[in-house]
Amino acid sequence: MNKTKNIFFSFVLVIMIFFLNGFAFAYSENCNFPITLIDDSNTEVNIREQPQRIISAAPSNTEIIFALGSEEKLVGRSEFCNFPEEVEDIEIIGKMSPLNLEKIVSLNPDLILSYGGFQLKDIPRLRELGLIVLVVQSETLQEMIQGIKLIAQACGIPEKGEYLTSQMQERIDKVNYQVMASSRQKPKIFVGSNFDTIYSPGKDTLFHELITLAGGENIVRHLQGWSKISPELVAEKEPDIIIVPSGIMNPEEISKIKKDITNHPGWSNIPAIKNNQIYAVNEDLFYRAGPRLVDGLELLYEIFNRK
Amino acid sequence: MKYLTENNKNIYGYPNWRYKAFFVLIFGFISILIVGFIALNFGAISIQPKNILSILWHHKTDDSLGLIIWELRIPRLIMAMLAGMTLAGVGGAFQGILRNPLADPYILGVSAGAALGACTGIALQYITGLYLANLLPVLALIGSFISILMVYLFSRKKSHFPMTDLLLAGVAVNFFFSALITLLLAVSNRELHSMLFWLMGDLSNASWQKISIVFLPVFIGSFLLIYASLELNAMALGEEEALHLGIQTEKLRLKIFLIGSIMIAVVVSFTGLIGFVGLVIPHISRLLVGPDHRIMLPVSALIGAAFLILCDTIARTIIAPTEIPIGAITAIIGVPLFIHLLKRRNENNEY
Repeated sequence: MNKTKNIFFSFVLVIMIFFLNGFAFAYSENCNFPITLIDDSNTEVNIREQPQRIISAAPSNTEIIFALGSEEKLVGRSEFCNFPEEVEDIEIIGKMSPLNLEKIVSLNPDLILSYGGFQLKDIPRLRELGLIVLVVQSETLQEMIQGIKLIAQACGIPEKGEYLTSQMQERIDKVNYQVMASSRQKPKIFVGSNFDTIYSPGKDTLFHELITLAGGENIVRHLQGWSKISPELVAEKEPDIIIVPSGIMNPEEISKIKKDITNHPGWSNIPAIKNNQIYAVNEDLFYRAGPRLVDGLELLYEIFNRK
Repeated sequence: MKYLTENNKNIYGYPNWRYKAFFVLIFGFISILIVGFIALNFGAISIQPKNILSILWHHKTDDSLGLIIWELRIPRLIMAMLAGMTLAGVGGAFQGILRNPLADPYILGVSAGAALGACTGIALQYITGLYLANLLPVLALIGSFISILMVYLFSRKKSHFPMTDLLLAGVAVNFFFSALITLLLAVSNRELHSMLFWLMGDLSNASWQKISIVFLPVFIGSFLLIYASLELNAMALGEEEALHLGIQTEKLRLKIFLIGSIMIAVVVSFTGLIGFVGLVIPHISRLLVGPDHRIMLPVSALIGAAFLILCDTIARTIIAPTEIPIGAITAIIGVPLFIHLLKRRNENNEY
């Protein structure tokens, strides 16, 4: 009697497992897959199933994954990923270049989000090993928005990507509208620090784009890329506001940086220094092609309109 | 080699070299096998030695551990071995034909050509938006062949091929190409990093396919170099003395230059520039087994191979998962070893 009972129960159990399995299958089966995407290295990337184990090899991509709410699928990240705080719990795959292939393979990922640039030389090898690599390398605000959509598609959640980017676009449009409506003279902006060699973002940089969108006039807009400039140029252009990107590139204390800039020889006549318009900002909001660029844009707009 | 009669063989040959060479080679091969297996046990991921043995025995490649061993660690080991062999062997041969202890495999311009080729590829990638990462080794190879051709044309005088001119032409081409790279770096912004990373030697991209391309030139080249080692011995006496012994020194120089450069070009195109090995390992092996090229060249190749495997293992494990550029490790480990051997020889020898 007991035996038949046991058999009966196991039978019920098996049927239940079948059912649950079926449900789980129906739930996870995403009609978006397989999908073929063109990534920023102009490569066709085939993704057969919805990725469950994602490695992000760049801080920007990590932030995008978190913004899309897919962080529980993240199994590896670069050492430079520092936002949001929850990244601490995710395994580090090493520095951004050279990529540690052994570490990556051992995590058994089904999607690797790479930053192009100096990672490009490792990508052919990763693809040879049968891993799926999506290169997302954004150089402008709009490319960043496209990048978010691309990652959302690759993760099988395109509608989330659309929603997130439309929200961001709204915020960008709002700043844009306010700048257009304003009749004020555009403030002259200098981005830099008190280093012996001053690097300032010229055109074709994200920082320049954000300054322009926020209604400022970058004093080095005639230069290409991040450029070395002389202190004389800064004195001559007489910027109204000085923005100091602080973080890894500029780790000193802000009060000290401000003091050094104020006492910089030959700069005493600069309006920004006379009116104490020196602001330190978190560099990650301006260098990193992730969702927080929009925060950076709003912060700049707010600084430019402070009185 | 008709001109090598038994008589003058004794003048610049060494007695018993065959036994010595045989013993040294056997010892070298065994030590490389041991070093190789030890190196296989280290990596960013720790794998039990018994698991490694079973993976090796059953040739498993279906899970990620098997993939790590068979597709990442072993190709990397073999690539390190081939690169170390080539750099040290060619370095020794170049020191022989140039009669200059400061000569290394890069002194005749090959490396700068390869680097310029790769940097041009990276720059083109940004300008055209095409995906050229797969083509970089090919471009590096083209660059290095252009530099070999330039050095050859600049140093040839009618039918002559003088030593000083070869050395100077090599140095000049090296500087010229380096200047072009600096220029490229100066006008580029975003691509700067990828170029700098390419210039640093790196074995992490080794694969079976790359090994299959590198293997044949290295194998044939090494054989030819060792075949010419008796003539290199004569060169060590001096250019004139070698001529008197019936060696066509200019032909020999041209031959070694071309063989060595092609070997280096193929290796460097896949590994980037790994410094120091080609300069100091030949000296180390000279200190260990004496100046006879018939023994010194193979020993130098074997030590080079073992040394590079060791350095690469340290480079990829010491602060894993971050990898250190291998060039830094080769010098940090190699210099103390070299100084130690040098001091020991000076104390033992009378001069």
